[in-house]
Amino acid sequence: MNLNRRLFTTLAASALAASLTAPAMAADLAAIESAGTVKIGMLVDFPPFGITDMSGNPDGYDADVAKALAESMGVTAQIVPVTGPNRIPYLLSGQVDVLVASLGITAERAEKVDFSNPYAGISIAVYGDSGLDVADKAGLSGQSISVARASTQDTGVTAVAPEGTDIMRFDDDATAVQALMSGQVKLIGASNVVMSQIAAATGDRFNKKFDLSSQVQGVAVAPGSDALLAKINDFVAEAKSDGTLDAIHEKWLGEPLPEFVKNPK
Amino acid sequence: MYNFNFQPVFENLDLLGYGALLTIRMSLIAMVLGLIVSMLGAVAKTSGIRPLRWLVDVYVEVIRNTPFLIQIFFIFFGLPAVGISMSPDTAAIVALVINVGAYGTEIIRAGIESIPGGQIEAGKALGLSPVQIFRYVVVKPALRNIYPSLTSQFIYLMLTSSVVSVISANDLASAGADLNARTFASFEIYLVLTVMYFLLALGFSTLFAAIRRNFFSYPASR
Repeated sequence: MNLNRRLFTTLAASALAASLTAPAMAADLAAIESAGTVKIGMLVDFPPFGITDMSGNPDGYDADVAKALAESMGVTAQIVPVTGPNRIPYLLSGQVDVLVASLGITAERAEKVDFSNPYAGISIAVYGDSGLDVADKAGLSGQSISVARASTQDTGVTAVAPEGTDIMRFDDDATAVQALMSGQVKLIGASNVVMSQIAAATGDRFNKKFDLSSQVQGVAVAPGSDALLAKINDFVAEAKSDGTLDAIHEKWLGEPLPEFVKNPK
Repeated sequence: MYNFNFQPVFENLDLLGYGALLTIRMSLIAMVLGLIVSMLGAVAKTSGIRPLRWLVDVYVEVIRNTPFLIQIFFIFFGLPAVGISMSPDTAAIVALVINVGAYGTEIIRAGIESIPGGQIEAGKALGLSPVQIFRYVVVKPALRNIYPSLTSQFIYLMLTSSVVSVISANDLASAGADLNARTFASFEIYLVLTVMYFLLALGFSTLFAAIRRNFFSYPASR
């Protein structure tokens, strides 16, 4: 009994280990083309990149890019909703061929998946009243700036703020934005995603002061899918030059594709 | 099994201690100002002047029937629209005073109404002036009657003040939240905060009991 249980545990553990270390399933471009569909994983809970529309279909920036990608490959897109934690396992186990899932390009992830050139990006910056002159971090001194507590922008602002900056930490982006809109603060640390929503409501009342950090996102494929990746990179390059990505970015984020995504360092 | 690590908490006890001081200061200011608002409200409510009574009625009903969170949001984010802009810490105190004032008004009104008319007439018969009657015959016994309700409302005010970090005001809870954002030792931090709030409440209870012994420990017929 005891031995059996131990045996079972050992077997289960080794099976699990095997499944975790199993070689990733590379996607075959020819197979995708002959099937006529490409399975694309995307987030549906990350507005405005991935959302679910009124009729329950995936929509958003990533969905538009996914459809454009499939079209350029001459196949139809089959969009598979994935979540933040399971998107890379979905890709590596072959349940999707491609991820257009707002996956930020990091060195850590690049060890597991192959990234295309960036097709989107999120930047964190200091924004504020258009009339206010704050050119760099030194200009923060004597100003009040709102951030969402414990967010990337909180870390970013706290790191650069000089002595005499009044950093006001709120529970979330919505409240930090409220502080800006009601005039309780003159500046805010926020992402371009949040700012595009503010701009939609307030026009040119606020503008960008200076950048804090940025993160680009790439289309991901399983390692070894070189033909597919080359095809995707062709698509990204073409979509950047012919204005497809500008139009999609304009539609969802209210401005053309930012420079740090177009010409990454 | 969760691994407790109190290291980050103990390393930053000064931060939490400072937060506790801010909470004590904010609560004390709000209690004193709140008591004044409550007295004025109760006097207005028991006075014969109708418009004044209605005004206080509206104030008490609006505040007692809306959540504190909404009130504090309204004061901090809403009032700038009409040109009244306060710092987060001031807005927090104003919100607490307005809130506790409404509850206190009702509590003290009940105390004043518990004074039998004969007692006031007795004061008049003794030749006391109206101010003396109000002070010694009405207010003091009234406060004595409702002292437990009023002080528990004040302790509740101190505990309620833990939500003021939503408008980025600084207090014990926001000190804990900042520490949590840096160290991610949530469970340990909130455990220590619980103990600290409990000790604060206990401290206030002791203070109130001492005040009671000093001011209200005369014999009464009832």
